[in-house]
Amino acid sequence: MADSVYHIGTQDLPLTQRVNKIPEKAVEEYYTSGHRTCQGCESALIMRLMAKAAGPRTIILGSTGCMYVANTTYYSTPWVVPWMHTQLGSSGSAATGTAAALRALMRKGKMKEEPINVIAFCGDGGGADMGVSSISAALMHTQYNLLIICYDNESYANTDIQISGSSPWGANTTFTPPGKKVRIMHKNWKKNIAALYAVGHTKCNYVATGDASYPADLIDKVRKGLKEPGPAFIHTLDPCPKGWDYDPFFSHKLGEMAVESGLFPLWEMTNGELTYTGVSARQVYGKRTRKPVRDYLEAQGRFHHFIDEDYEYFQEEVNNMWDNWTLPGVIPFKLGEDPSKKK
Amino acid sequence: MSIISYEIVYRGIFQKSLAMKISRTLVLAAVKEGKVGISFGRYSDSPERNGIPAKQFGYIAATKEELEEVAAQYEPKQVDLSICVDDALTKGVESWGWYGLQPINAVTKPGGTLIVTSNQSSDDLVKHIHRKDTSYNLSIVKGDASFAGLWVYKNDGTDARCLGAALKACPEICSMASLETAILENIGGDNHVEAARASYEDSRSDEIKPGEGNTEVPFTFELLKWQDMRLGVVIDAVGGHNHFGDSDGGYVPGRNEYFKKWSTRTMRPVVQFDKCTKCTLCWVACPDTVFDVTPDGYYDANMEACCGCGVCEAICPVPECITMVNEVVFEERDSQYEMWNKDKENFGTYVEEKIAKGKVENRHPITGLAGAFSGAGLAGGHNEDTFATKSLKEL
Amino acid sequence: MVTAVAEKGAGMELLTGSEVVAHICRLADVDVLTAYPIRPYDTVMQYVARMIANGDFDADYIPAESEHGQFEIVKHASACGARVFTGSSGVGWLYAMEPLAVTAGLRLPMVALVGCRALDDPGAFGTEHNDALLVRDLGWMINFPDTPQESVEMGLMAYRVAEDPRVFLPCAIAMDGAFLTHSQAIVQLPSQEQVSEFLPPYDRGDLLLHPDNPITIAPQANEDWLMEVRRQSSEASKNAYTVLKEVHKDYCRIFDEDVNPFIDEYMTDDAEIVLCGMGTMSLPVKVAIREMRKEGKKVGMVRLKWVRPFPTDELRVSLSRFKAVGVIDRDYSYGSPHHGGILFNEIKAALYGCDNQPFMKGFVCGLGGREVLLEDVRSMADQVSATAASGKPDNEVTWMGVRG
Repeated sequence: MADSVYHIGTQDLPLTQRVNKIPEKAVEEYYTSGHRTCQGCESALIMRLMAKAAGPRTIILGSTGCMYVANTTYYSTPWVVPWMHTQLGSSGSAATGTAAALRALMRKGKMKEEPINVIAFCGDGGGADMGVSSISAALMHTQYNLLIICYDNESYANTDIQISGSSPWGANTTFTPPGKKVRIMHKNWKKNIAALYAVGHTKCNYVATGDASYPADLIDKVRKGLKEPGPAFIHTLDPCPKGWDYDPFFSHKLGEMAVESGLFPLWEMTNGELTYTGVSARQVYGKRTRKPVRDYLEAQGRFHHFIDEDYEYFQEEVNNMWDNWTLPGVIPFKLGEDPSKKK
Repeated sequence: MSIISYEIVYRGIFQKSLAMKISRTLVLAAVKEGKVGISFGRYSDSPERNGIPAKQFGYIAATKEELEEVAAQYEPKQVDLSICVDDALTKGVESWGWYGLQPINAVTKPGGTLIVTSNQSSDDLVKHIHRKDTSYNLSIVKGDASFAGLWVYKNDGTDARCLGAALKACPEICSMASLETAILENIGGDNHVEAARASYEDSRSDEIKPGEGNTEVPFTFELLKWQDMRLGVVIDAVGGHNHFGDSDGGYVPGRNEYFKKWSTRTMRPVVQFDKCTKCTLCWVACPDTVFDVTPDGYYDANMEACCGCGVCEAICPVPECITMVNEVVFEERDSQYEMWNKDKENFGTYVEEKIAKGKVENRHPITGLAGAFSGAGLAGGHNEDTFATKSLKEL
Repeated sequence: MVTAVAEKGAGMELLTGSEVVAHICRLADVDVLTAYPIRPYDTVMQYVARMIANGDFDADYIPAESEHGQFEIVKHASACGARVFTGSSGVGWLYAMEPLAVTAGLRLPMVALVGCRALDDPGAFGTEHNDALLVRDLGWMINFPDTPQESVEMGLMAYRVAEDPRVFLPCAIAMDGAFLTHSQAIVQLPSQEQVSEFLPPYDRGDLLLHPDNPITIAPQANEDWLMEVRRQSSEASKNAYTVLKEVHKDYCRIFDEDVNPFIDEYMTDDAEIVLCGMGTMSLPVKVAIREMRKEGKKVGMVRLKWVRPFPTDELRVSLSRFKAVGVIDRDYSYGSPHHGGILFNEIKAALYGCDNQPFMKGFVCGLGGREVLLEDVRSMADQVSATAASGKPDNEVTWMGVRG
């Protein structure tokens, strides 16, 4: 008999809470060597930490992008767990299809029942542009346990760096090069991806932002997303030494600077409650001050055409987000006055 | 004239512009004398990745028909000239998982010339370069490897100096006058021309005899027949979780046997285990899963997997515990932990010697990597001719 | 519209082509289906939804957010070992083109109902075959049932051949919009026992995506490997032909039928000329042939049930018996050789160099849901006869029933 409320369980994997507990709680590698990613690729580190967090009973679907072409080029792969390619805009569909197959087959007794992690990842191209519709659909399927991770290096990196809906204002890319007449070719502000999914999909009970420079925070978020029944979503910010133009040595540091400047707050929403984590928590709940965003921007060659007013604009946007938004990084508007009271 | 073919072997992204300038300028110089030529990057090397070796090729011929003869085959089987712009590449080049390790002189024809930018001597280099059955000439352009980021070009004259050496090795390409004109039109000003001339004058090459060189047999890979490939574009995952060495403890992940990535590095981390506090940060932060966990909780960098990004040195909280050292000062890829464990004093000496010879200095986000990148607000940084400086309101 | 769901030991039902396919999904114990609304295929999904809601069919049924998503979902479900079903029409099928190519390229069995429909713009809901035929180069198998009853055979054969490990290719059931998707006829549905005997479980073996089988599926391949991958697919499509022939014997045995696996011949024994086509045009063609026979004209019909795998040998044997062959294309191929339709050019190529190669005439008829009228068929037959009589090739391709 068809049972619309049949649920497979989820995996409850131990949280690490601190970096130096990672060897104890998550030593095994499920993404290892064999990839030809750039030196200092933080997206590759996201892959490694994500797979490490998820463990062996996992199926991963990877959409087109750097983490497909640079990782897996026939006859080579870095994946220890089963992995399948999917299309650029299909991370939501791939996760749904995989989860649906497991659920249908287990329910009908054609496959041994067990909680299997289903993770689909996409880059910012797949998460902010082409894949929005399929992710949006996936995040409302409460009967499917799945996690979608958008690894965001702020460009279509695999095609040699072009602008995406998640690229920062003014960034140099091959579609938006500063020139003699036009310095700022990309005048759109970066989309707020995780917030878009969190706010619009009320049955998606886990949404978070993460950064590989805070590995324990990230591993724990992946594990929490996998544990939460139904769909989950994580957005990570990954410094990209090729596209952002800096010495790969600084990849980890740049990941910290993005959060320290307040440009990319770390948060998680679990079952309707949102909390900030790590450094961002200290900024929200405590007294930690945000570092000037100019330091972060100046450390990257993709902004080297900026002049003072560009840096000021950036700082204004960040200040506005922190001072005026209802929830920094998440809810950009406030409750207005009662319109009936206005004369 | 006979047809001339050449290749530039370079670090992807870091030397992309450099390789292109050298390759194009040679053709453009020859064209000044009525010759024909083409210059191209190997398409499947792109998209290039930081440090992953890549190749540019060029052909020069007297007539269109001759050019067609050689260009009919996309990638040359033999070249007159191999120009290697980072001497760490002389240890071998692995661009793709199924190419195996290709010696730097793999397609240098008998009697052809390998030009290498390096501060090493010919003898040092020959220790790394795999032996060939035929002779070839080795010419050194003295200097550091020149790196730059994707958006800016480090104009340090390396291109001109390589061009001078190339012309010396292969005088049939064109005359010095043509080369100078091409340099002025495509690269830079008089100081570039002077650099090319000086390099031309100073350039010497040594004949490397058959059998001379690194005796390592580079690992190879035979491509499968369609009948032997699995259906549905399926390949095996990487296997295995192992204990460290012969012990019952530690953790060593499975590693891919087809693509080792060590030829991507220009430098490698040297770890002073005596100083290590086992904080785990290097192990955690490495995008390439390089570190093996030893039974006593140290982290040992596997030199088959390390691509030399330096994040481990950056993140290590203990001063001078991890130091990035130029790859060319090493001959082996042995486990440092095992060296240390076996004989701590010896290892200490080894570490001191390597650091003294090749420590990488001057890391800076934008002008880091020994002066690699240019960036905002820094002297000698961006070129203000390149983009507008008016504010948005003014434009 | 929908009558009682058939019980075990099925009797006769009044069903549309779409509903037949819905029953096939149920009998085949499909595991995952995806739906997206577009006419005329989507009634199959409406029928399925009712079956599931009433507890007659157990499957994960997912309305997707677009056709691209729809096909991507089942593609991945198939990789994980689920038997899947989906479908679309016209521009919806186009919206799914990316997964259509990938599904075949990755050797993922999938059965999809294409409710043939004219491509927008200008929008028309009526049938044309261009949508289904768009995937003919990619490895998809494509069949064209002409009646609700034949949809049983096409649906079951689709699963059996697609899921055979020597094949592992997706299959499209191309069904004329309205004329077959929405028209009811008396159908004998098979029983569950028969279907269970005919369809073994779907088993991907060591290609299955599951933690017990660590593999990487579809790393990016370049020029060193791609030709070999394509060669494998070419082998698979050759196998599709031999496997189809082989398993059709099982089909005939289990379902007690005596039909040719690839083609349907009508009054060809003593025919001088034949008309060829696909899908529901078979009805007006047969009726017109009966009329012409009464007038002493020796006309027959050879209808293709499958266009991929293309029945080259069958057609060379069959059509070389006739002086001339008229091909009725319910599709167009602007700018093609002689501006002929797709089927015309394919049959002509298939017959190239065969003994007693017949003359060939091409026709374009019935586009956008326009009927194939009896007078059109008579006219086409007369034109083919005229060619036969002239003893010379006539490359003019005629568009039938166009005003002006």
